Formats: sequence, C-alpha cells, structure tokens
Amino acid sequence: MLSRVADNFYWMSRYIERAESLTRMVEVNQSSSLDCVEERLDEFWDPVLQAICASETFKESGKKDLVQFLFFSSGYSYSVKNCLAYARENARMVRDQLSMEMWLELNNIYLFFQSGDAEKAFLQDPQIFFQKVIRFSLVFQGLSGATIPHDEGWHFMALGTFLERADQTSRMLDTLTFQSHIPTRVDLLAVLRSCSARSAFKRQYRGELSMRNVANFLLFSQDFPRSIRFSIRCLDENLHAISGVPSGNFSNEAERLIGSSLAMVNFTDINAVLSIGLHQTIDDLQKKLMKVGQCIFETYVLLPFEIKSVNQSLTAHAQAQQQ
Amino acid sequence: MKTNVFSRYETGAFFDEMFDRGDDRLIRPHYQKILERISALNPLEYEEKRSQAVSSFLEHGVTFTVYGDSEGAERIFPFDLIPRVIPGNEWSVIERGLKQRILALNLFLNDIYHQGRILQEGVIPREIVETCPYFRKEIIGFHVPKDIYIHVCGSDLIRDEKGTYMVLEDNGRCPSGVSYVLENRDIMKRAFPRTYQSMGVRSVEAYPELLLKTLEYLSPRQSQKPVCVLLTPGVYNSAYFEHTFLARQMGIEIVEGRDLIAIDGFVYMRTTQGLVQVDVIYRRLDDDFIDPSFFRKDSVLGVPGLMDSYLKGNVALANGVGTGLADDKVTYAYVPDMIRFYLGQDPILQSVPTYLCWRDEDRKFVLENLANLVVKPANESGGYGMLIGSESTKAECNEFKKRINENPREYIAQPIISLSRHPTFCNDELAGRHIDLRPFILYGSDLEVVPGGLTRVALKKDSLVVNSSQGGGSKDTWVLKS
Repeated sequence: MLSRVADNFYWMSRYIERAESLTRMVEVNQSSSLDCVEERLDEFWDPVLQAICASETFKESGKKDLVQFLFFSSGYSYSVKNCLAYARENARMVRDQLSMEMWLELNNIYLFFQSGDAEKAFLQDPQIFFQKVIRFSLVFQGLSGATIPHDEGWHFMALGTFLERADQTSRMLDTLTFQSHIPTRVDLLAVLRSCSARSAFKRQYRGELSMRNVANFLLFSQDFPRSIRFSIRCLDENLHAISGVPSGNFSNEAERLIGSSLAMVNFTDINAVLSIGLHQTIDDLQKKLMKVGQCIFETYVLLPFEIKSVNQSLTAHAQAQQQ
Repeated sequence: MKTNVFSRYETGAFFDEMFDRGDDRLIRPHYQKILERISALNPLEYEEKRSQAVSSFLEHGVTFTVYGDSEGAERIFPFDLIPRVIPGNEWSVIERGLKQRILALNLFLNDIYHQGRILQEGVIPREIVETCPYFRKEIIGFHVPKDIYIHVCGSDLIRDEKGTYMVLEDNGRCPSGVSYVLENRDIMKRAFPRTYQSMGVRSVEAYPELLLKTLEYLSPRQSQKPVCVLLTPGVYNSAYFEHTFLARQMGIEIVEGRDLIAIDGFVYMRTTQGLVQVDVIYRRLDDDFIDPSFFRKDSVLGVPGLMDSYLKGNVALANGVGTGLADDKVTYAYVPDMIRFYLGQDPILQSVPTYLCWRDEDRKFVLENLANLVVKPANESGGYGMLIGSESTKAECNEFKKRINENPREYIAQPIISLSRHPTFCNDELAGRHIDLRPFILYGSDLEVVPGGLTRVALKKDSLVVNSSQGGGSKDTWVLKS
C-alpha cells in the first residue's frame, strides 16, 4: 500500500488512543482530587503533568483550569480536542478505506468538539462528557475490528494503537514514581482505574493492593489488553504480519527492537525491575518504544527524498517481501 | 385531470422538457410514465423519498467543497428527484455530435502541437493560439501516446427556446461531475425501481470500467498489467470526493504529489513495500501544478521530474498536457471550422453564436449591446467572473466595459439564451427551473459516450447559472433505449 496511507492509518489510531487515555486519566484523577484539600490541588496534579510531559506547557499557558487546558486548549498540541482533530484529518485522507460507520463516529466526535458543544457538555456534567469521549474511542476500535478487512492498513492501525497504549500505560505507572510520598491506596487505585484495570487487577490479586503488585500487573500481565507486555506482543505480531517475516526473526530495525523488548517483558520479573528501579525501567522502555515508532516510519514511510537512482535493492527488496 | 403536484405547474415562455407549450400543456410521451409515478405520490411519500436521498448522500459523503468559504465546509450537492428524460433518437444525434467534436478537438491539438496546418491555412489566427494561457509551447513536437490529447471530455450542452441542443463549452482538462451521475442513478433506482425498469433506461454503471480501459490503453508497458493511479491535489480540493470515488470504483491507488517520485525519467509511487513503477497517471490537477521543476515553481502539489518522464514516453498522462487550449472560449468559437477543416463534415451539434472581443467589429457590437449579452472570461470555469447583461447594474456593466477594453483577448460574449426548463421540486411545489447537461466522453481504443450525464439545474428562480459553486443542483439523466 501507499506509504502515506500507511502513515495516515498509523497516526489516526494513535491519536484516538491518546485522546482516550488522556480522558480516562483526567476522569479518574478528577474524582480522586475531590478528596484533596484545595490548597494541595497543584501538588495532586503535578505527577500527572510530569508523566505526560505537560507541566511546562501548562505553566507557560497561564491557564487556571488544568482540566480545561488538557481537553480544549489549542495551545497544547496533545489536548483531546487537538488529538481528535489530527485523527480526523488523517482519516479524511484514507476515507475511501474506512467503513462508513467508522467515519461517521469519528466525524461526529470531531464536530462535537469543534462546535463548542463539547465544552458546554463538559461544564454541565463532566462525568457524562468523559464517558462520551471514552465510548467514542471504544466504539471506533470495535468498528475497526468488525467492519474493515484486516489487511496491511489495518495492521498499521494496530501499530498506532498499541504503541500509544504501551506508552500511556507506562506513563500512568510512572506517575507513582513522581509522587513526593509513598503511594497511597488512593494513588494506586487511581493508576489502575486510569488503565481501566481495577477489576482485572482485583480478580488476579484479590485486593492485595501494593505498589509491587500494581507494577507487576501493568507491566507483565499476559492477558490484560492494556498491560505493557500485551501491547508489545501485539506490536510484534502486527509488525511481522506486515513484513511476512516469522516472529523471532527480524527484517528491519523496528522488528529487532520490538523483539528485544518482548524478550525483556517475557523473561524479566518484578524483582529485577524493582532492583533496577521502576522509573529507570519505564524510562528505558519508553525510549525504546519511541525508537520503534521512528523505525516504522523510516522503514515503511520515509523513502529517502534524495534518491538519485533506483538501485536494485529498493525494488528487488519489494519483490522479495511480497512473496 | 385529478389534482396533483403538476396541476399548478406553469411552463412559462420557455422550452419545457416535460410539457409541450400551449394551453393544453401536452405531456411529451417519453415523460408519461414518470409523470404518472410522481403524480401518484402524496406529499408524505415524496418527503420520505427526498429525505432518503439526502441521508444517502450524507452517508456516502457525496460532498463538495466551496472555495472562498472560510470554513472550508463540505456540502451536499442538492439533488432533485424528478429525472430528466431523453428519448433514444434524440440521444443518438447528441452522441454522434459529441464524438465528432472530440475527434476534431484532438486533431486540432495534434495539429497545433505539430505542423500547425490550420494556422498556416489561416483558418484560425496564430495569435489566438499563442496568447492562450493554456497553450504549452513546451510540448510542441512531442508525440503523446496514441496521438490522443483529451481522453476524458465533458462538454456542456444546453437547449434554447426552441429545444435545439447546443454546445456551450468544452472541458478538456479535468472535467468533474461523473461521480454524481453514478450516485444519482443509485438513488433513483432505489426511489423508483419499477418506473425505472419499465421505461427502459440505459445504464451508466460501466463508466469506471471504461475509464480504466481508457487509461490502460495508454500504458507504455503493454507487456504487463499497467499500473494506473489517480493523482489528486488533496483533501481540500472541491472534487476530492469524486477522486476517492473513482479510484475506489476502478480499484486503483489515489495518490498525492508527495506519494510519487520521478527518478531517471521514470515515475514511481512510494509504497510500504518499496518503489512501484507507475505507467499511467489520471491526473485531476491542471498542467500548471503537475511539475514544479517544469511549470509553476511554487506548486507543492506536483511531482518534480514528472514532465521529464512524460516527454521521454515512460509515463502517460490523462488528459495530456496542453489540452486547456481546447477549453478556451475563444478557441470554442472556431470548433465548427475545425470540424469542417479536419473531418470535412458539417457540425452535427450547433454552437452558441460567439462574439470575440479581440475582433474590433465584435467588440464594438458587444460594448453597444452589453445589456442583451452574456460576457464571459475566456479562461475561467465554474461560472466565475461572468456578466449577464440583462441582470446587471449600470456600474457592473461599466466595470466590464473597462475590462474588455483593457484585455479584449480575454473576453467573449454570447446572446443570452433562455435555457430549457424542467419541472423541479422547490419548497414543496413544482416549478420550472433552467437546466443544462454535461455528458462524459471517453477516448481510448474506442470513443464512448456515457448515455446520460449530469443534468445540472439552477435552483434559484430565473437563474441561468447552473454551476454547483453558484447554487446549482443536479438531476439524474435517463436516456431511453428507444
């Protein structure tokens, strides 16, 4: 498929996943923050802002209301409103390959935000508003599973979704390491709920709420779809579905990096992580995932613009991969 | 006659497509069945069918973008449920006339970009050709694939007060609208299935297939299945919906300039699996923008090096480069002469009498009779920048006089023709509205004219301008088998 189209698919789903994560995180923390005295509110939100790397932009913006900033600011490039606009822009370019249902969902939420209705809805009842955004993302992902062929473009969408999800889960977990105090029950629950992992966690650990268990679950759960291990495994599968090279081998740098990350999450345990330091581990992982994103782009999208002659390797490579 | 939606319909002093003029208002026989069907609808049923059509357009995303609208809003092209019907015998004349015309236009372009016989023999003044902004001296002497320049042509037809078909203009660059022809038909078949079937309407659905065959015919690599692509200016173009629609129907890639790369005289598309050589580009982008290294330097839409590959014969373009010359409304005035010159035939379809302002006599006449004329810029499309004398203020007329005097080559004038009218639903009642017709002609190994085309209707009362950008709508066009 066209490289640009692959890129559009990837970013469309990445931005949608990002909008969902951000919404869920705000939803959870806003309800926890109600338990917090007003003078200490800044302190409460600080770890969140640090984890999503938005502290400075927020300070510079001079805005008072953090939640409004995260949702509606046009100055913050990853505000939910902006994420949805980018997602829709990417979708518009590949519209002929989306199902009508997918387009309608995305277009509707986009129009909801652009028209100002979203801001009204938020002021009226934040809970209902948050649910609407989250529900959109879930419906959209359900539709992409159920209404379009699972071909190459679909695999690129999956790459966008899982790369973003792995990154977001790691950031949620990282909020615990930014706390100025030892994480409390409230903090731990907030992280789990931000990953919509509370019931899954409870089922596995029967209420043994500890930093160790939460980190273990979000990093290493085999089957919870927002755990880092689960996301990395999906990345590995989709990368190999695109190249046709069997898993366990690699034909490009993205596959090699993901393979090595997968080995890491498959064969390390929580004790090793805690001895290196949770933050350090998360930081390394995030850097690696970022590199994976770059490598996907370099391998499949960015053919050098300055190609002077078609050397054999470029086209021959294509044929080898098609077989 | 029982009371129905047609009871209060008035034809006025125009040629009406459905009714013969006169007190008894005879229905033209080819409209009998659809008239009966529509008369039998009660307002509720009609409203239901109408809203089905609207939501179907919305769902399919059949929209266009209006330039100059700050929101860049996507709009639906308004659609009227009463089809325009053309009997088979009338159509066969139109079809022959259009084929004759596209043949002559192609011979003309081939001549102009080679020997220039028609200029040497003084049939068309050389100056006219060379001052046309779309004349491309860069391709003089270049052999386009199969000697065809215009592969896809959309010539606009109108009917005057007597019902005579006339060609109003030719669109030999990137004519658009065919996606509406196909979508309109889909909706009409759903709205009036039995009437449609019983009237024996000719099908239009083969268009995408025929277009693909026309494109593949041009491929420089005949040994293998040609790789054809549709080159679009991008999502902000007013016809972007049509581009995605046609690409999907043909099963080819829709590409933007940045998806293509020209290397050593060949054009490739960038795919996730590497570079893939492209044979034929159906470009929906004007000459000016296709190659910044050749034409407009500031174009970000094109592909640097594309023209080099084209001139080397390694990639074909449809339509060819330099066809804008045939769209020039000054050239238009000479088409009947071309038909006589190249084909030795009389034109089958009439043209509208045209005054060329660069001719002193014509200009004098135009300036003195502005109130009774339509003045058009020679090289604009979409109904922009024209003056309808009878509907304009004195100031507007004076402004145009000034422009004509400053730049006579760029203006032509035509008598104001009362376009034929067609019953059309306007605010819950039937009224006569002016229409035209844009048929689509394909020129590949054969000449094919899609039976029908886009009937455009001026929805504003008394308006003569049918362009979508100027508040026009559309109707399905039913060409009958007999």
